[in-house]
Amino acid sequence: MLESYIPIMLVLGFAVVFAMAAVFSSKLFGPQRPNPEKLSTYESGVKPIGTTHERVSIKYYLIAMLFIIFDIEVIFVYPWAVEFRQLFAEFGISVFVSMFIFLVVFELGFLYAYKKGGFDWD
Amino acid sequence: MNIYDLIFYLFATITVLSALAVVSTKNIIYSAYNLMLTFFGVAGLYVLLGADFLAIVQLIVYVGGILILILFGVMLTNKVNGMPIHTEVTNIIPASITIGLFAGIVLAFFMNTNWKSVTTEFPATTIQSLGKLLMNEYILIFELLGVLLLIALIGAASIARKQ
Amino acid sequence: MDITIQDYLNILPLIIIAAGILISVVIEMYAKNSEKILPWFSIVIFFSAGYYALFTVNSQSVLFSNMIVTGGTANIFFFLFCFGAAIVSLLSIDYLKKAGIYFGEYYILLQSAVLGMMLLANARDLVMIFIGLEQMSIPFYVLAGFNRKKHFSNEAALKYFLLGAFATGFIVFGMGLIYGSVGSMSIDAIMTKFGDVSTNAVFIIGVLLFIIGFSFKIAAFPFHMWVPDVYQGSPTTVTAIMSTGGKAAAFSALFIALSPFFGDVSFNIFKPFLSALAVLSMLFGSIVAIAQTDIKRMLAYSSISHAGYMLIGVTSGLASGTAGVIFYLAAYTFMNLGAFGIVSMLEGENDTNLKIDDYINLGKKNPLIAGLLSIFMFALSGLPPFAGFFGKYYVFISAIESGMTWLAIVGVISSVISVYFYLRLVVLMYFKEGNEGINPTVSNTALLGVVIAALIVILIGLFPGSIIELISTFVI
Repeated sequence: MLESYIPIMLVLGFAVVFAMAAVFSSKLFGPQRPNPEKLSTYESGVKPIGTTHERVSIKYYLIAMLFIIFDIEVIFVYPWAVEFRQLFAEFGISVFVSMFIFLVVFELGFLYAYKKGGFDWD
Repeated sequence: MNIYDLIFYLFATITVLSALAVVSTKNIIYSAYNLMLTFFGVAGLYVLLGADFLAIVQLIVYVGGILILILFGVMLTNKVNGMPIHTEVTNIIPASITIGLFAGIVLAFFMNTNWKSVTTEFPATTIQSLGKLLMNEYILIFELLGVLLLIALIGAASIARKQ
Repeated sequence: MDITIQDYLNILPLIIIAAGILISVVIEMYAKNSEKILPWFSIVIFFSAGYYALFTVNSQSVLFSNMIVTGGTANIFFFLFCFGAAIVSLLSIDYLKKAGIYFGEYYILLQSAVLGMMLLANARDLVMIFIGLEQMSIPFYVLAGFNRKKHFSNEAALKYFLLGAFATGFIVFGMGLIYGSVGSMSIDAIMTKFGDVSTNAVFIIGVLLFIIGFSFKIAAFPFHMWVPDVYQGSPTTVTAIMSTGGKAAAFSALFIALSPFFGDVSFNIFKPFLSALAVLSMLFGSIVAIAQTDIKRMLAYSSISHAGYMLIGVTSGLASGTAGVIFYLAAYTFMNLGAFGIVSMLEGENDTNLKIDDYINLGKKNPLIAGLLSIFMFALSGLPPFAGFFGKYYVFISAIESGMTWLAIVGVISSVISVYFYLRLVVLMYFKEGNEGINPTVSNTALLGVVIAALIVILIGLFPGSIIELISTFVI
């Protein structure tokens, strides 16, 4: 029932209120006396080099893509795992075998990406 | 109007307004962050429809995965070598006409249809029945999804290959 | 759920291809010269699956809780896809070397695209259609951009991906509306409840969106804008399978989704829409193809007009129309494969030798290639006694049977227009003074593939009656 979502709503509301309060209260109550030194980019006390818009390596993109595909795979394992006991009682070992085939087929892809150097970082 | 209606309108407003912001804002990073709100609003709507598992999927895959990918994409391409990529909202009038027409047609159909209303019990959780379906009717689709994901992975690795 | 040995035997073509994909991945991972092994391995896979499908064409059954059907038209489509892909593998061996994309992944992606097409052809459930569509499209997106160094190839992949994803959006929205009105994704359930929903506006608009989405995939006129660029930019062998297998698979899905409507009066709602698509595609494709100077673009526009001819058969809404379209697809698959195969053979490095003017005097320099290309051009233009003629004949007959003679007349006019640009190529090859033109080096494996395609085209042209009879027995 939807009542079970009340805690989630409460957490959400609390998060929004707390975040807003944290951001705006410092603006409201804190003293603001800006000068050029304060407004400059802070980079561990060293003068900043170059722009902030550095190009990110394409590697991140591949890793992110591999992550999403893994994510989707996990989504399909959830319902099976939750229901496994009853399914196993009903159908026996074939429930296990079908998930096994799914995972083997799928993990072959990760093995492939590994073999082709998808996870190397240079 | 009860509390559920209020919650529905809250999520619907979040979804529509943030979706509007996605297409109208000029800064592509803002668009991406607004997209997060859209996904979140849609997840809320799923919960109201009793599709709790779908809501979780929406959060895990879209907010947790696809949005990150979009942000990576934005950061990979935005302001390469100090040259800003031109982003602006173009073709507002033709787009509004097309979308308006499409929305109007769909709305007209929805208004003029005799929807069958069926009273079913609000499901406590859908994940059990999904597990059963995956192992029964949809077993072939389930195995084929493994192949589909494998191919998506190989395609991704093949596009990003070194040579 | 009880699955018997017979069930597994019935879906053996699917299992062969799926197992082939997995084995290919392993070969690609562990073998050092996988790009030499994989083409022959995939040819074996395709050939065995295709042959088995043709062999078991009579064992019709519905499997996996009404998810898929086997036997009948599904197996005929299987045969088309598998043999087409086997020919493409033959063509690719030397082409990939020439184009600088000599990688084994190509064949893995080719096999998975074929698996997707097969799933589209034997689907009995909208979910299955969706899975098949994705299984087919994702490898195509990657294959279109397989030549990463070329800007045209990247452009092709991006255009194809964006518009393809857009089209998939239409299809899924349509499926959602169909599900909303029927309450089930199964085609059988739609058939049972058809009486209740056939006048339901939501159901109709759902089917309409479904048709629009697949019109993208079959490259019919208002949804064709990606076709010339994608066909031109993709590697030629990829274009060959995309324009034949991809189109045939999309048509099969269209037939599956429209099958509840055939023989029902409510199909009349779609007739104006479908006939407009057909007429516009035929005329637009034929007329614009005349102005092309690039042979791949010319064949792309010709493929748009062929989609129009086939849509005539769909518009008729009769069993004879369906059988006619399947016959047309069989003929079109092999003649277009042959034409693209010859283009891929003659293509030089860095996209050279792709202009129509490069084919001047080919008849003197390489009579065999010129002769084969002439066969394919005659067949594509629909001149008797080649396969293309009978395809058009059966489709036009079905239009006349369903009382739409004007559609057949437009089709004939469009065919006459298209004869100009097909035969111009033949004229350039044989009846041109002077000595300019290319001097191609010809790959033997690709030649074998093209010769097989030519033989099949001639066979279909020689025995159209028995083939259409075979197809008609399976079309209800």
